[in-house]
Amino acid sequence: MLDTLIFVVLPYAAIALALFVTPYRYFKNRLDWSAFSTQFLERRKLYWGSIPWHYGIVIVLAGHLIGFLFPSAVQSVLSNFSLLIALESIALSLGLLALVGSVILLIRRTSGIVRAVTSYSDWIVLLLVLNQAITGVYMGVFARWGMEWYLHTAVPWLYSLLTLNPQIGYVSELPLVFKLHVAGAFLILAVLPFTKFVHFLFLPLDFLKDPPLLYRWASRREKKVVIGETKKI
Amino acid sequence: MDVRAQLVMVFNLDKCLGCHTCSIACKNIWTDRKGAEYMWWNNVETKPGAGYPKFWEDQKRYKGGWVLKGNKLKLRAFSKLSTLLNIFYQPHMPKLEDYYHPWTYDYAKLYESPEESDQPVAEPISLISGEKIDIEFGPNWDDDLGGSPLYAEEDVNLDERRIVTNFGSIFMFYLPRICNHCLNPACVAACPQRAIYKRGEDGIVLVDQNTCRGWRFCVTACPYKKVYYNWNTGKSEKCIFCYPRTETAQANACAHSCVGRIRYVGVVLYDADRIEDALKVKDEELVEAQRKIILDPRDEMVRRAAKENGIPDSWLEAALKSPAYALIKEYELALPLHPEFRTMPMTFYIPPLSPVLAVHRAIHDVEEHEEVPDKDLLRVPVRYLSKLFSGGNERVVTEALERLVALRKYMRARNVGENPDEDSLRKAGLDAESAERLYRLLTIASYNERYAIPTLHREYLDVASSEERKGGKGFGISIGPRGGL
Repeated sequence: MLDTLIFVVLPYAAIALALFVTPYRYFKNRLDWSAFSTQFLERRKLYWGSIPWHYGIVIVLAGHLIGFLFPSAVQSVLSNFSLLIALESIALSLGLLALVGSVILLIRRTSGIVRAVTSYSDWIVLLLVLNQAITGVYMGVFARWGMEWYLHTAVPWLYSLLTLNPQIGYVSELPLVFKLHVAGAFLILAVLPFTKFVHFLFLPLDFLKDPPLLYRWASRREKKVVIGETKKI
Repeated sequence: MDVRAQLVMVFNLDKCLGCHTCSIACKNIWTDRKGAEYMWWNNVETKPGAGYPKFWEDQKRYKGGWVLKGNKLKLRAFSKLSTLLNIFYQPHMPKLEDYYHPWTYDYAKLYESPEESDQPVAEPISLISGEKIDIEFGPNWDDDLGGSPLYAEEDVNLDERRIVTNFGSIFMFYLPRICNHCLNPACVAACPQRAIYKRGEDGIVLVDQNTCRGWRFCVTACPYKKVYYNWNTGKSEKCIFCYPRTETAQANACAHSCVGRIRYVGVVLYDADRIEDALKVKDEELVEAQRKIILDPRDEMVRRAAKENGIPDSWLEAALKSPAYALIKEYELALPLHPEFRTMPMTFYIPPLSPVLAVHRAIHDVEEHEEVPDKDLLRVPVRYLSKLFSGGNERVVTEALERLVALRKYMRARNVGENPDEDSLRKAGLDAESAERLYRLLTIASYNERYAIPTLHREYLDVASSEERKGGKGFGISIGPRGGL
């Protein structure tokens, strides 16, 4: 029953929410789409929280994605045992970095001026990411070779979700900590459109190719947004 | 030639009395909101002083503006790659305390307090957290303290500290500041989300509140620190040059309310093709390079090129009457603020002569001489002014001061019935006719002479999006900006 909830109901509900509510919020009102940085108010703790957290989690999350997208290629890479040990150690240290960062970020919210500007949604966001970091690091330490078994359990189960034929047999025998990790991940997806999690949907990359100056002309209808069309400074 | 039009403001520092009416007018209209309490889109500083936010001119600290590396203009703070790498934390951004912690007073206590032997006191409370705070710093904390070593010494433009410790040589004047709506805005270039843009028609630089995601690179990049982060909406905001007013030919709130009538607003035509070249010169040559790309609206070729570029006739008409063009280019009186930041700022300042009757080292001599002193005797050192307004070029500052002094001497002689000295007028590059015009412009000019603002053409307005915005309150006021759960 609990397995069905975590591995079937929650994922589909979360994906539905993320898929439909996110564009709704995007088109309805973007005035509150922001990363809601509080660095302006408090920067010392943020430095030690935000940087470890983000650099840790971005790389670890990218690892999850690569494993999901190219399972067979990753499998062949991991068949080299020393490489597996190396990658696993790197992943664990990045996980620890993220864990330390998220704990600092959480502590930072409990006092001073930052507490005064903290909303419920900030607490939900932080507790969810802390859960991911704790359960992730726990598995890294006590359920070794996660990179390897991830490919044979979670990945096929995720594909079965995608093909609308959920096979929870792949994952139902795994320990509780894994289930917490999965439940947390889909809860994050579920609350994504309602919280500042939306900020990871808009990693800015356009500016890399743009010339620096951006003009907007109301009078030139044919090209309302003209980016530095005459001057490339 | 790519002719474009820009609305430009000129400040006559000779007349600024430091009353802060402009700041209050701006505050009441635009930044009287949660998250914007600490923002002063228009502020008035006492110079010498550290300014607002503290030390904003010190680019070693805040890394604002552009630098010329070889033959390339680069943002001082970030390359594109380091923009991405620093997206989780901004190392050079000013913090709240560099501006000031906004506060109010707990007035309820005056009513709720039980009967006691002492009077109840309304204690200061933070406008952000609501908790009691000690007020240690505020906007204009150093107002009028330009002569005090404590505050004046913090001015980064002042290389001769002795000046502020020696009572006989202290000086001060006011510096009102708004966003400069630069031709090469660093904030626009720094925004990774591409939320900041320059309006093609009038050159006003705006932050698109729908696109801004609060990465705050603009706050770092602007060397004038005139882009502000709203901690409540999580987005950046800045002076909008009162575009809802200028679009309908009204003067900006700060200019309109100016008691000293120190402000002028008008259209200036410039050649966008030559901006880059004009910025790739030595610091001392920047003012003159900028003057060169400002075009004469009487020139037939300029007018033709302007029309081809879609600049409407009403704007060309306004450019002819522009007080800004007259003060910046014709009489070369008005200078840009810190051109060496290389953003090519488009607000200009007429350097102050005052106090005319209290000259350096000889406070009351002038009255005895019954004359306007020579520019060398002026109390505000030319060197200091050149650090503010000309990238260290003392000649352009001196020329402007000489012109002002010559004009004063000439008009004084006329008023007291002496023989006006047209020779010194000519030496300063003026004649009787231009002196008359300049005198009028600097003293008794009426509203329409000081503000020659053409309306934005209605056919340019994006009707669809204005319908969309109808009833909206902008800046996220109508919506709980924290969003979500």
